[in-house]
Amino acid sequence: MAIITISRGSYSKGKEVAEKVASHLGYKCISREVLLDASEHFNIPEMKLVRAIHDAPSILDRFSRTRQAFFAYIRYALAQHVKEDNLVYHGLAGHLLLKGIPNVLKVRVIADLADRIRAEMKRERISEEAARSLLLKDDEERRKWTQSLYGVDPQDSSLYDLVVHVHKLTVDDAVEIISDTAQRTPFKTTKQVRQKMEDYGLACQLKAGLADSFDNVGVKSEYGSILVYAKGNDHYVQRVRKRATEVTGRMSGVNELEVHAVRKLPLDVV
Amino acid sequence: MSIILISSDHYETCRAVAQQVAESTGYALLDRKILGEVASASRIPEPKILKSLEPSSSTVGLPAKVRNRALAAIQSAVMVRLLDDKVVCYGLAAHLYVLGVSHVLKIRILCKEEERVSLMATERNVGIEKARKLLKKQEAVQKRWSLDVFGRDETNPSLYDMVINMSQIEPDEAVNAIVETVSYRKFQSMTYSIKCLKDRELSIRVRLALMEKYSDVDVTADGATVVVRTKALRREKRKKTENIRALAGQISGVSYVEVHAGRDIFRQAAESA
Repeated sequence: MAIITISRGSYSKGKEVAEKVASHLGYKCISREVLLDASEHFNIPEMKLVRAIHDAPSILDRFSRTRQAFFAYIRYALAQHVKEDNLVYHGLAGHLLLKGIPNVLKVRVIADLADRIRAEMKRERISEEAARSLLLKDDEERRKWTQSLYGVDPQDSSLYDLVVHVHKLTVDDAVEIISDTAQRTPFKTTKQVRQKMEDYGLACQLKAGLADSFDNVGVKSEYGSILVYAKGNDHYVQRVRKRATEVTGRMSGVNELEVHAVRKLPLDVV
Repeated sequence: MSIILISSDHYETCRAVAQQVAESTGYALLDRKILGEVASASRIPEPKILKSLEPSSSTVGLPAKVRNRALAAIQSAVMVRLLDDKVVCYGLAAHLYVLGVSHVLKIRILCKEEERVSLMATERNVGIEKARKLLKKQEAVQKRWSLDVFGRDETNPSLYDMVINMSQIEPDEAVNAIVETVSYRKFQSMTYSIKCLKDRELSIRVRLALMEKYSDVDVTADGATVVVRTKALRREKRKKTENIRALAGQISGVSYVEVHAGRDIFRQAAESA
């Protein structure tokens, strides 16, 4: 009874590990499904969402509300899956999207560059040089993307609970290690954790409803009481309040809504 | 029959985990207690031996020659003990120089950041924010040290088989994971992996012996054959090669010595200037 996010570079065998872990534990395994759900729910072409979470943002993109809105939509779609529990997510940035949910086992699967190059050469039928260049470019895109959104380097081990190096350890060993860890006490879904997941789902839903019009907004929920933090002048805060009231009116499970004006957004908000 | 090397961003945590792993597996614990013996065998004072393992942000550290010799002495002592097999080693930077041996399981343990910050705040008697900054600085110094001395970034996860973050995982669970992983067949010693370790042990032993006279040598070993790479001026090349061959040939386990002396362009340029 846990949620596992598996972060990986291209050709790191992370996908294979994720699928095998899910099958071993009887969990649902998702990746692209989150994008499809977001695309369908918010009526955005999937390709645009893929670009928003894959490509490194340009300088203009960093301040783009659209990009942030897409990101909120994807997080909302993921939060809906998370509520169902027993999940392995191996799409982009799961460990960052689900920041704040306590029972998530965050795993990174890594492989040696030489092994990855060999896999890329075999699959794409390209030269060693071309494969190396593609892999390094892809790693760099992902690094810049995570850096711009979260200010962290995805290769920093401290972002994960477990980093498994698939080289001496095989895919099956990695599956065994991850499955075993996921069943340990800190990752079990308790009543409190379930409540946190519900709250996280509510916060993500409201954030997705606000993200297309407001960028300096943070949302959190505690037992169905939603707190919205808005960074801006009185007029801005009033507009946020009005929109938040409209959105929460269509949501179920909301007990209360408070909107606060702040100078700096708290760290524990979505 | 395996070897477990444990590294961490926090020495005390590393020690606690290593001790528990050693108890659970029944393996011998190899740690800084050997430094006294290393000091007497190498005739380098123990404080200097210890200092060579501790990165310092100060510009007044150990002279490079002393530091390299001290580290080579530590490496040699560690390698000999690793040959005994069934060893859990920590605190001796072995993860940075025991490479290419298949029955070695390398683990990195990451301590809870908040715990490290509060420990630093208590140790240095400073506030939390100041302690956080000091910790970042300490991490940068540690990383630079591993790169300077061994040419490897010890924070790079690909240096290890597994990295365990103790933010959510309890020490007992980390120990269980390590003990289970080391029981995998691929971490059992084999004739070839033991040979790899023996070759490394011999190469570092030869390097240590040569370092007293020649500090710039690089040594590899394959069975009883030793290859020494060094640099020399044209006029001293023959003499240096013969000396190295003679010195290395006296070491037990060495039957053939090959010396490659490249041109020392920096000294040559300095002498011609």
